[in-house]
Amino acid sequence: MRTTSGRRVGAACVLALLAAAAGAQADPSVAVSRAEGRLLHRRVPDVPLHLADGRTVPLSSLWQDKPLLVTFFYRNCHGICSPFLAWIRNAVREDDGLGRNYRILALSFGEQDTVADMRSQGEALGIDDPDWLFAIADREALARVIEALEFWYRPDPATGQYDHTALLVAVEDGRVKRALVGGAGFAERFPVMARELRGEFIRSYAVPAQTAWRCFSFDPVTGRVSVDWGLLILQTAWRCFSFDPVTGRVSVDWGLLILGLPTLTAMTVTFGIFRRGPRRR
Amino acid sequence: MLEQTTVHTTHTNTYPDVVGALEAAPEARATTMPATLSTIRHWMVISAALFVILALLGICMRLIQGDVLPGEQSWFYPLMTLHGDGMAGLWFVAAMACATEALRKHVRASNAVAVFALAGTVVGVALLLVSVLVGRFAAGWYFLYPLPLHGEWPAWSAVTFLLSLTVLGATWLIWSLDMLRAVAERYSLPHALGWHYLRGESEPAIPPAVIIVTVSMIVNVVALVAGVVTLVLFYFQLLTGSPVDALLMKNLTFLFGHTLVNLAMYLALAAVYDALPAYAGRPWKANKIVAISWNSVLLIVLLAYFHHLYMDFVQPGTLQYIGQIASYAASLPAAIVTIFGALLLVYHAPMRWTLASVLFFLGLMGWAIGGIGAVIDSTIVANVRLHNTLWVPAHFHTYMLAGFAMIAGYFYHCGRRSADVDLAAESVGAYQAVILNWLVAGACGFLAMFYLGGAYSVPRRYAVYPVELAHGTAYALWAGAFAAVFLIAAVLCLIEVMASWRKEAAVGEERPAGHPTPIGAPAAAHADH
Repeated sequence: MRTTSGRRVGAACVLALLAAAAGAQADPSVAVSRAEGRLLHRRVPDVPLHLADGRTVPLSSLWQDKPLLVTFFYRNCHGICSPFLAWIRNAVREDDGLGRNYRILALSFGEQDTVADMRSQGEALGIDDPDWLFAIADREALARVIEALEFWYRPDPATGQYDHTALLVAVEDGRVKRALVGGAGFAERFPVMARELRGEFIRSYAVPAQTAWRCFSFDPVTGRVSVDWGLLILQTAWRCFSFDPVTGRVSVDWGLLILGLPTLTAMTVTFGIFRRGPRRR
Repeated sequence: MLEQTTVHTTHTNTYPDVVGALEAAPEARATTMPATLSTIRHWMVISAALFVILALLGICMRLIQGDVLPGEQSWFYPLMTLHGDGMAGLWFVAAMACATEALRKHVRASNAVAVFALAGTVVGVALLLVSVLVGRFAAGWYFLYPLPLHGEWPAWSAVTFLLSLTVLGATWLIWSLDMLRAVAERYSLPHALGWHYLRGESEPAIPPAVIIVTVSMIVNVVALVAGVVTLVLFYFQLLTGSPVDALLMKNLTFLFGHTLVNLAMYLALAAVYDALPAYAGRPWKANKIVAISWNSVLLIVLLAYFHHLYMDFVQPGTLQYIGQIASYAASLPAAIVTIFGALLLVYHAPMRWTLASVLFFLGLMGWAIGGIGAVIDSTIVANVRLHNTLWVPAHFHTYMLAGFAMIAGYFYHCGRRSADVDLAAESVGAYQAVILNWLVAGACGFLAMFYLGGAYSVPRRYAVYPVELAHGTAYALWAGAFAAVFLIAAVLCLIEVMASWRKEAAVGEERPAGHPTPIGAPAAAHADH
């Protein structure tokens, strides 16, 4: 009897663990760097674009009916542009959401690029989809978009090339919904971004060690929270509770102490005032 | 005006103005000392003026929502900010002034701090007026982070608004600390909190007002320090540009704001505890139940604010449940102890129904009704429907109007005592009865429109209602009309209150022959005059 009961308990525990694991699978978390976090909910300016097929359309027309993924490149890039575009192409094919859940705009920031270059870029990548668009924009219009999305590039006179970052931004209703800056972790993060564009809720947390003077440091590999310098100088990372994306646990953070600070102050003040006892009757 | 007074710790001066106080008095060790400067009259004038102005702004808001003032829609949110912040602050300072006055016969607060509180409040209100009326600051009275820093108003108006709160917060903190100091001079902490009643002891007799004010001042320090931390974090972001945790800011803001408005009600109750026995002819004594209930407030009121964060999914679920439990528990001292206590005080008592005592009773009734509305809203399953609907302003406007009644009643009570009028000889005159009826009618209609709007899911904080919420426009229009009736009655009532300070004022009717004298022990009754 006891054995049967013990087995039932054990089976229930295993089932609970499996359910928790399945839940974790269904509800992934995503790390958001400071650079990416800054872009969230930012409004993207509506500027005219010259598409590869010769049409001129407002940027806003591209996010009217579905979210828009925006990336930057230039045709003559010897660096990351073509590999990055190819990687997006492959990730999109694997996701199978192009046209249904989102469309893509590859916007050139090369000063010499023409509409014909846009066509040739599409052909070079083997992309022939009406929801994958290549475009150029006038200098002023381009500058507005680049400024809004904090895309960084710098011409290198020695090589005639540009130093620049890799950026993929998801725009919904004219505002940035998610951004991927830099190349690291794209393979794992794009599917999560695609799920978010399908309307799923994706939890996010700040990438550890990017903010100076945090009160506590979080190590996503070990799931450990350790005391940081910020605890001493009370910088901005005051949170009531820290969320551990690995274990899913919520733990008390420095903010709660601030919340408790008024209570502690009141207790100290009260006992201080009443310490001497009544002086008159 | 500095006065001399005799202070004892006896039933006589603990419960002056009541039958049996002299008989119950044991021998007392008397000392003579100067009484605290009374600023109640100044507070009355300031409060009355601000109340009328702020109520007018509120009526304007409802008329804008009712589509009567379409050209003023851009003013809706600045008005909402000024009306909300102003009324919450006004209610607090007026209640604080009443509680301070109620304690004058028991403890000696600092005269300098009393004047400082008046001056600091006036400066803070002036800054608030500049911020809203000139700078069109419109972040609402919650000034919920990060809205004040991201609105369409100029940055200086946000800074002025924050400075206004800083001045008011610092002033009230010093005022509260001085009240605590004054209580500490006379009572030990266990006595001031009535802990000896828990041990079954009945001496020394502590007036309930002292227990309530001590509890309120301790909690007030928590609230105001939370407000200071909130403001420091706002300034921190203004100076460094570094963002602050939004969840932390929301917790701090409501720990400050929700607690402060709760305390305003508790302080007004302290005044009622002090004055109502004078009309009932019975003492309203502290006992074990009173001590337990008001000490429980110390903890409960600090946790109840969690119900403001039900919709914040990042707030840990445990705190949401704590919020619901604490919100329910907060009604215990209110409903069981104070309201039933007041009913028992009045029941079969030689009650004198004057303008003051009727207003006290109406205030307690409003508190009970508003409390039921609040408990419904703090229930999580109901809050899912009622959150941010007009139900929320419905319940806190009920509280506010209850507060108006209690505070106006206490001002009137102070006026009559200052005029050396025999309270036993007074009753509600015909003119005052008419005012009271219109006051109640206007308030009921005004509040009913809020409750109906909430029940029919009309959202709050909408300057203009879309077609789908057209019924909200009708409610707003009617609410504006009822509020106007209330305001006219309130102005007439306030004129009566002001007139009550005149020594020659003849109020009420003649005392019927043979009617029992509710105010016994006249020497004790005027011991502090």
